[in-house]
Amino acid sequence: MVQPRISSRLRARARRQWIAAAAFVGYLVLWQLIARAGIFYEGVIPSSIAILRALYEIAFDRALYLNTAVTAFEVAVAISIGCGCGLALGLLGGAVRIIGSAYEPYVHYLAPTPKIVFLPVLLLFFGVGFGTKIALGALSAFFPMAIATLAGVRSVDPVLLRVGRSFNLSRLQLALKIYLPALRAPVLTGLKLGFGFALIGVLLAEIKLSNAGLGFMAIQYYNHFEMAELYALMVIIFLLAGGANALVDQLMPRRWGG
Amino acid sequence: MRGPTILGLATVAAAAVLLELLVASGVLPAYIFVRPSAILFSIVGLFREEALLERLLVTLGATLLSAAMAVVSGVSLGWALHRCRLLDEIFGTWIAALAAAPLILLYPLFLVVFGRGEPTIIAMAYVASLVAMTLKTRDGLAGVRSVLRAVGSSFRVTSAQLFWKIELPAAAPAIFTGIRLALIFALINVIGIEFMINDGGIGGLIADLADRYEVPSMYAAILFVVLASVAFFWATERAERWFNPA
Amino acid sequence: MRKIVLALVVTGLSLANGPVFANDVVKVASAQKGFWDTTILLYGERAGLFKAQGLDLEITWTNGGAETEQAVISGSVDIAAANGILGAIAAYAKGAPVRIIAAESTGVNDLFWYARGDSGLKSFGDLDGKTVGFSSPGSSSNMVALALIAQAHVSAKPVATGGAPGTLTQVMSGQIDVGWAVPPLHFDLIDQGKIRIIGRGSDIAEMRDQTVRVFETNTTTLATHRDILSRFFRAYQKTLDWAYREPEALVQFAADNKVSLEQAHRARDEFYPQSALALAPISNLDLTVKQAIELRRLSAPLTAEQVRELIDIVYDPRTEK
Repeated sequence: MVQPRISSRLRARARRQWIAAAAFVGYLVLWQLIARAGIFYEGVIPSSIAILRALYEIAFDRALYLNTAVTAFEVAVAISIGCGCGLALGLLGGAVRIIGSAYEPYVHYLAPTPKIVFLPVLLLFFGVGFGTKIALGALSAFFPMAIATLAGVRSVDPVLLRVGRSFNLSRLQLALKIYLPALRAPVLTGLKLGFGFALIGVLLAEIKLSNAGLGFMAIQYYNHFEMAELYALMVIIFLLAGGANALVDQLMPRRWGG
Repeated sequence: MRGPTILGLATVAAAAVLLELLVASGVLPAYIFVRPSAILFSIVGLFREEALLERLLVTLGATLLSAAMAVVSGVSLGWALHRCRLLDEIFGTWIAALAAAPLILLYPLFLVVFGRGEPTIIAMAYVASLVAMTLKTRDGLAGVRSVLRAVGSSFRVTSAQLFWKIELPAAAPAIFTGIRLALIFALINVIGIEFMINDGGIGGLIADLADRYEVPSMYAAILFVVLASVAFFWATERAERWFNPA
Repeated sequence: MRKIVLALVVTGLSLANGPVFANDVVKVASAQKGFWDTTILLYGERAGLFKAQGLDLEITWTNGGAETEQAVISGSVDIAAANGILGAIAAYAKGAPVRIIAAESTGVNDLFWYARGDSGLKSFGDLDGKTVGFSSPGSSSNMVALALIAQAHVSAKPVATGGAPGTLTQVMSGQIDVGWAVPPLHFDLIDQGKIRIIGRGSDIAEMRDQTVRVFETNTTTLATHRDILSRFFRAYQKTLDWAYREPEALVQFAADNKVSLEQAHRARDEFYPQSALALAPISNLDLTVKQAIELRRLSAPLTAEQVRELIDIVYDPRTEK
């Protein structure tokens, strides 16, 4: 009886993929029609064909890869610093009750504030160059990680903790054998969100000022009114962001249906 | 929780005092670091000369408008995705992908279409809020326990009655969360875009002050934005809790 | 792993924080890559004219305005190029350690205003009741738009439209009547008759000799590396002479902007006379101060002492001739 069930699942998945593909083609056609309809001034909504052509050209442009490398570097360092600090604060706040209770409200309420408004301050501190962009990215990545870690530490199953204590585990052993495995999911969630926010922060900072990076590349296209190239670059950026997200998803524990 | 609150506030106060002393004594350069006292003094100037209150209202107005639009269309779209399997299969994955995407980066595209001004700000905030609202509605409706639907069908309700009397109330918590998220995303994006395009409410004010190199006022404006955001999120949280006692 | 990150962080921060003058590297922040006057130093760099003075340029491009200013204030670049003089004065007046060390652009010859070809508008005199775009409040396009409207004695409404691309859309879609731009943008459309130039910055007699953009540096760099700054401007002057004499710079300009060589010629010859890019003097400071006070960037006129302190021309090509 197993065989028919598997093949029907496969068929359902194939059906979904066909529909997704058909929908994608449908979007392209619809876009092309809108572009040609003349509702918007020409060039503002470039045709699908123009965008695809631009995608093809950009894919072979060395500048794309250099700029991607710059942005990737900045995001990587930003996450290291931001998520690192967030993790540290989260662990500290979880371990020392009074610290957690004292500072958690600040973290909780500052988290949704748009970090971009700190850019002029960061600019004064770090000037042009990697510093400002990394700083904004780190600032953005800090909060989701701190919140996730704090929540994670608090939600460790108290039964596990009692078991650990009844075996007289030292603080270090408790940390390594009980807290760390339990924190894997929240930390990965924090990392995923931190990555998303760090990417936004870095790209926005690159748009405001830079000489490299994907944000810089985008604003150059905008300033020169190269709309097809701008759309194409946006598609590439979104694909890269989506890809990175999917990558982190792979690291998630299977138990959560991931 | 007296102890922790005091510790938190004491930390902020101590930091402010330390900063004041370091800048006043010249240890920290005065054109980068600003004395907290100077920041406080310039707040008055912000209200009088920079029309801070009007700017705040502009920002709030844009936020509420874009969030309202997102709620209306998001609930409708979420319901449509819930009702029609085909639609969900076509659009569902795209919308979920958009939720993780750096949507705010699309603003140059909106700039070119709508020009530099409120329409771009509202359009951008609308798109950002729409995604969250749609997904929350769809998931909320999908999460309605089947036993409730079974009860409904045993009473032979029409599909309209099913929606209004059973599905919507059951999905209400998720929908209210979606409304709160829509408001939050709207505010973040409104302020963010205002800052990036140097126009509009309090976000544009910060960019303007930075442009004019009014550093203490700039810090004051940033502080004000932080406080305004905090107040806004606290209010929306309270409101959601009031709607959702669970 | 953590060590690598730490090393990266330390490197990154140290690169970001201090002016790096080892081996005559000059860090420059310039606004708006691609335009003739802002990008000319890049062409000179490529042609080796700065290397001939023993200098390597590291150029960072900003979107103009505060970022270029803050870059030089924080000391993370040595020279801010093509910075609005209003911003420089405002920063100085607030105690920022900046000095103006050369003029970058005098007169506003590059700015032009255009209307749709089918609009029937031919000059600013036709603009009663119409809307006129400029980039952002306080910019030179703002000042010139106001001046053009006043000069034509019409009741037109100035509207901040942001960057040139967005402005074009708004004009073509009818949201505003007149847009602003700088060459070589939209030359294709002009040639096709889809838009028509109806006003130029050079139409404003009062601003023709006003220095609107300058080179700045911070006081630390000026005190410790005056010689390097002087060599920089020597090379820059050679770049100017070369770019107006030889065709290579124009070829690169045309390629970067994806315009024809003929259009590039037109852009340079009609809108950027070499005299407009002269490094000295800083002219018509009185008008600038007046505008600064009007826009609330200055609370009072500068004293003679302040002017002497603020403006310090490091290299004056006129004294060489």
